[in-house]
Order: sequence, then C-alpha cells, then structure tokens
Amino acid sequence: MKKILCVPFDPVHDVGIKIIKAELDKHGHDTKLISPDLTPEAIVKIAASEQYDFILVSRTLGYGVAELLARFIDLLDAAGIREKTKIVIGGKPVTPELAAELGFDKGFGANSSMEEIVAYIEGREYTVSHQGLNRTKKDIVSKYDYSFNNPEIETLLSSIADKLIKWAEGKTSPGVERAKLREKIFNSGSQIEKDTLLEKYYKLCDPEIINANTKGQFIKGVRRVSEKELTDLKTFIETHNPVDPVRIQHADNHPLVFKFLGSGCPVMDITHAKVCERYGIDGFLVINPSWEARYEGLIEGCLTHENDGTITSFENIKLLRESLDTSTLLTVRAHRGLNTPETTLLAGLAGADLAKINLVYGSLGAGTDPVRLAVDGIETIKLAARFNMPFDIPGNDELSGVPAWKSLAGLLINVMIGKKLGAKPILKPLFCFGPHIVINGLMKDNYIDYNAAKIFALRSIVNSPIWPGEPIAFMTQSEERVQAANANSYHAALAAGLGVDVITVASTDEAYSRGPICITSRIDTIRAITDAYKFIGNASFKPTPQAGEYTKMLVEKITGVLRQVEAKDNLPEAIYAGLLGNQEDGAYPGTFGAGTVK
Amino acid sequence: MKRAIDSVMDAIDIETYLVCSDPLEGKKLALQLGTELNLGEIDIMYQEFDGYGVRVRLRKYIYKPGNNYLYLENSSPGKGGVK
Repeated sequence: MKKILCVPFDPVHDVGIKIIKAELDKHGHDTKLISPDLTPEAIVKIAASEQYDFILVSRTLGYGVAELLARFIDLLDAAGIREKTKIVIGGKPVTPELAAELGFDKGFGANSSMEEIVAYIEGREYTVSHQGLNRTKKDIVSKYDYSFNNPEIETLLSSIADKLIKWAEGKTSPGVERAKLREKIFNSGSQIEKDTLLEKYYKLCDPEIINANTKGQFIKGVRRVSEKELTDLKTFIETHNPVDPVRIQHADNHPLVFKFLGSGCPVMDITHAKVCERYGIDGFLVINPSWEARYEGLIEGCLTHENDGTITSFENIKLLRESLDTSTLLTVRAHRGLNTPETTLLAGLAGADLAKINLVYGSLGAGTDPVRLAVDGIETIKLAARFNMPFDIPGNDELSGVPAWKSLAGLLINVMIGKKLGAKPILKPLFCFGPHIVINGLMKDNYIDYNAAKIFALRSIVNSPIWPGEPIAFMTQSEERVQAANANSYHAALAAGLGVDVITVASTDEAYSRGPICITSRIDTIRAITDAYKFIGNASFKPTPQAGEYTKMLVEKITGVLRQVEAKDNLPEAIYAGLLGNQEDGAYPGTFGAGTVK
Repeated sequence: MKRAIDSVMDAIDIETYLVCSDPLEGKKLALQLGTELNLGEIDIMYQEFDGYGVRVRLRKYIYKPGNNYLYLENSSPGKGGVK
C-alpha cells in the first residue's frame, strides 16, 4: 500500500485527479485529496505534515504555469520532501518530456491509461498490449429467422422468387459455366486435367483476359505484385502490432463498422486495413474495378492496379484474408457484372466471410443485362449458401434518382430469393441524400426521419439483419474534413439508436475523387464514429411524427411495386419494364452480357 | 539517415488559412505553397473564401496505388525499421 497525496493544483479542473484517486483507492492505496487552488506554500505545508510516497499533482497548462510549477518543485526541494517522495504531474497536455523539463519524476497525459498510472505507483513495469486485437469474429445473421410480418408482401415476394427460380431452371451463361470450370480446376489434382479445363475456361473469356493470363499482357495500369513486395508486406505485418486496440462500439449492441478497400493495390489496402483494425474496424468490403465486371473472365494472380478498385482474383482475396486479423470480416463485391458466380466462388474458396449481391441493382444503370444477371445471380446466391457466406444486398437509390421504395422492393426480392435458396441475406438500405430525396424535399427538415423510416418499413416487413450503407452519409459529405467526419458520426449515431446490425462508413476524403482514400482520412471518421457511439450510448435520436408518415408511405409504395413486379412473368421482364427503376428515375436496364444466356 | 518522407504511408495533407483578397488569389497561393514547401504539384481538396482569406485542405500524394512504398522496405529488419 502506498501513501499518496492528491493535489488538484488548479482553480477549477480537479476531475482527473478525483478519478485517479478513486482508482488508487480501489487498489487499496491510502490516498488523501486536498482542496483545489491552494498556494504552493500551503500545499508544501500539507505535504510536509505526513510522510507520503507520492504526490500527484494535476494541473492544466497555460501562461505562467511552468514558472508556478518550477517554484512548487523548488519549495518541495527546500522542505526536503523530494528526497523521500516521488512528485508526479498529470494533465491533458503533459508528456514525459515536459514533466522532466519541469522537474517532476513522472508525467501522465491524455494518452496515459489508468492501468499505466497504477502500475507506476505500484512499481510494476507497464507493458503496452501487443496481444493482437483480442476479439472474436462477429456473427451478423444468426439471430434472424427471415420470417415475414407483412402477409401480402410475403405472398408477393414468394411468387416473384418462385417464378424467377423456375424461369432460371435449365438456363446457363458463360459466367455460370466459368464458375463451374474454375471450381473443377481448383479441386483437380492433375495438371493435365487443369490445363484441359483451363482451355475450356478461356473459350468463355474475352481476349483481354486470355492475353493477361496467358501472355502477361495486362489491361493498362495492371501489373503483378512482385515477390519482394509480398515479402516486404509480410515483414511489415509481422513486425508491427496494434498497440492498445480500440473498440468502436461503446455498447455491446452498437452496429459493427465496415470500411471499403479498393485503392487498386492490395498492398496499400492491407496496410490501411491493418491500421484501421487497430482503430476498431470490424470488417472490410473489397470493391473491384468497374472494368473487371465488364469482361468475360477474371485475371489470375496477385495483381495491383493504378486506378480505382482492387482486382478480386483468388490470390488477391486470399492475400487480404490472410493479412487481416482472424476476427475481421471480409466481404467481396459481386453484385454486378459478368463474373458474379466466379467472384463469389473465389471469395468462398479464399475464405471471405460475405459476398455483396443484388440481382436488381446489378441490372440497372451501367450494369449487367437483367436476364444474364438473373441467371448468374441465382447461381451466385446458391454458391453463397454453399460456402455459408451471408450476402449483403446494397440499395441503389444513391446515384440515380431511383426512389427508395423501388430500391427497397429490390432488396426484399433478393431476401426472398436468398431465403428460398438457403442463403442468409442482409438488407442494406442506404443512409444517403440521394437525388430523389433532394428533388422531393424528403430530408428538407432533417436527415433522421427518412433514413429511420427505411429501417422501420423494412422491420415491419421482415425479420432480417439490416446494414445501412453504403457508405452511410453518402451525398451528405463535402471535401471539408470536419464536416465529413461529423456527417459520418451523426449517421452512425442514428444507426446505433435504430439498433441496426452493421454500418459501412466512408472517410473524410470520400467526396474527393482525384486520388485514393488516405489512411489519415480513414482514421478521421473512425474516431468520429467512436465518439458518436459513446455520445449516443443506449439512447437514440427521436424522429418526428413525419417518420411514421414516411414509413407508411414506403410500405404502401413497396407493396405497389411488388404487385406490379409479380404481375410480370419473371423478374428480368419487370426490370426491362422499369418497374424497379426506369429512365425517368435515371435508371435503365444494363446491357453487358445481353444475349449470352442459353 | 532515414528520411521522414519515406515513412509516409500514402499522402501528406496540409490544412491552413491563407490571408488573401479573393478565391482566385487563394487558389494561387495554395498551389504556390506546395512549391514553396518543395512538395511540387499539390491538389486543393477543399477551399472556402470568407472575405479575409481561404481555409484550404491540400493534398500531396507521395504514392499512387501500385508504386513501391518505401515505408514497407523500411520495415525490413536491418533497415532502421520497427523490430
């Protein structure tokens, strides 16, 4: 037991020393707290009246304080106290160097932990935790049973999904066939068989992919990651550890937090990811280059790319997976393009945890032909189910003017297809300020009601995990750093208050598009969200009565959309007819892969 | 001796306030600042003129994706990196 004098050497700020005193009391030490704002002489008189092992002084720093503290140390010296007692200073701006400069034995500042202070008092060596992240992988889906609370919507969705699955029976595409071949290649133990299968694979590929894989003639800006780069990366990971890893969630039920990876370079992605893991990020979503979705076939190998999007080859996904902490979740974008089944297969084989799939969104805008994606998408969802990978379904009311009810209807169609195929879908409504919202003034008063209404509407329909994205605060952020961090934190607090399962968050350079996301900007929003979660705790924002009106409207309109979709023979026909987004909305059926389904 | 700039993970952001008469002058000064700091060409990420000057956020990318990242080479034992 140590005898400790606690000195709030400040006119007003004494909370820090009181917290430390309480902690030292808990550890069985004999502490005495004196009143604040005494003169140095008065404090020295008290200190001299008994034998103390430590005098802990708390003080904010300002003009003239250094001189005051120096005089205090001189007085302690003159009284002979310093010979027997260790004098310690604490305060937000205090550093070990500053404490030594001022003549103190030790100093603790804003970054010091209570454990560190107690260890010093007790004469124990304080070691910073280097034990990895010390967390377990979170399960997003198991508490949901996908039961429906809205019988009409359930009936409509069931009919839409049944018709689609039946329609797709016996149909195939180059994408489906390539995935089958790729799996056979992966499982074959014979090089001769592999070569034969690969030959068949290349017959289903575009020349750019064949040239890349057979001649090393890559698409502009793409090259292989060298062995040296991989070795250096491995060394980087092995020689660095997360120091005192942070947990973003203040309450156990706070949403998990995902970030995008997709700089183009897996090495840059991984170094960013390792830093983000330390700050508490729970998972990453790998975004591939837009061109990758437009070619038939995938490039093999560990590859880097100078522009947006990281190539989702098996080797790249595996490198990411193996470089991340085992507790970190990884999802791979496969929701559009001509390689959806193969990308999901490779994600599963490489150990990814989730895949991003949306048969509707992927067929709109600059997407895939609806017939092709319906056939590929069904195969993809079956693969996700086989690999036990839940699939997250992104909404599409952010860039074009698709109204939320059409986007949400599309998500629900995917949920029902997933349910029927034995997969575990995750709804991803957007927390965004999309064009339809702007034009119709749906967030004129606040950003809470309409976002909350999307959650309320989905919850009133189905018992499914909900993961707002993608990212939250999309279209509300500027290139101004503080505003961007704030926008993320407010939306994160809203998500926490609404009790959703996961959020995807941006960085403070999200709105800046002339280069890759930088690590400092990633940390900015993580820190902002960590604070936001602490701020909101188990409380929540209170939506206005308008949220109830919006919820009612969304459910009615979702029902209306699904009635129209159900009236069509199959889902692609409904997409071609613009029922889930039309030209007026700024959405139109994709064309990639048209005419390739057999 | 190891150069600090070789330890930069991706980019250098500079946030400052430049006293100027109008947004155009602010932009010129912001770009000039990059040259004066020997950073070469820099990007203006954000600029807001308020009548007295501009609050700016500037960025200099040290690496593009796929470049050789010197901080990785410096991580190797025996190269002054972290053990």
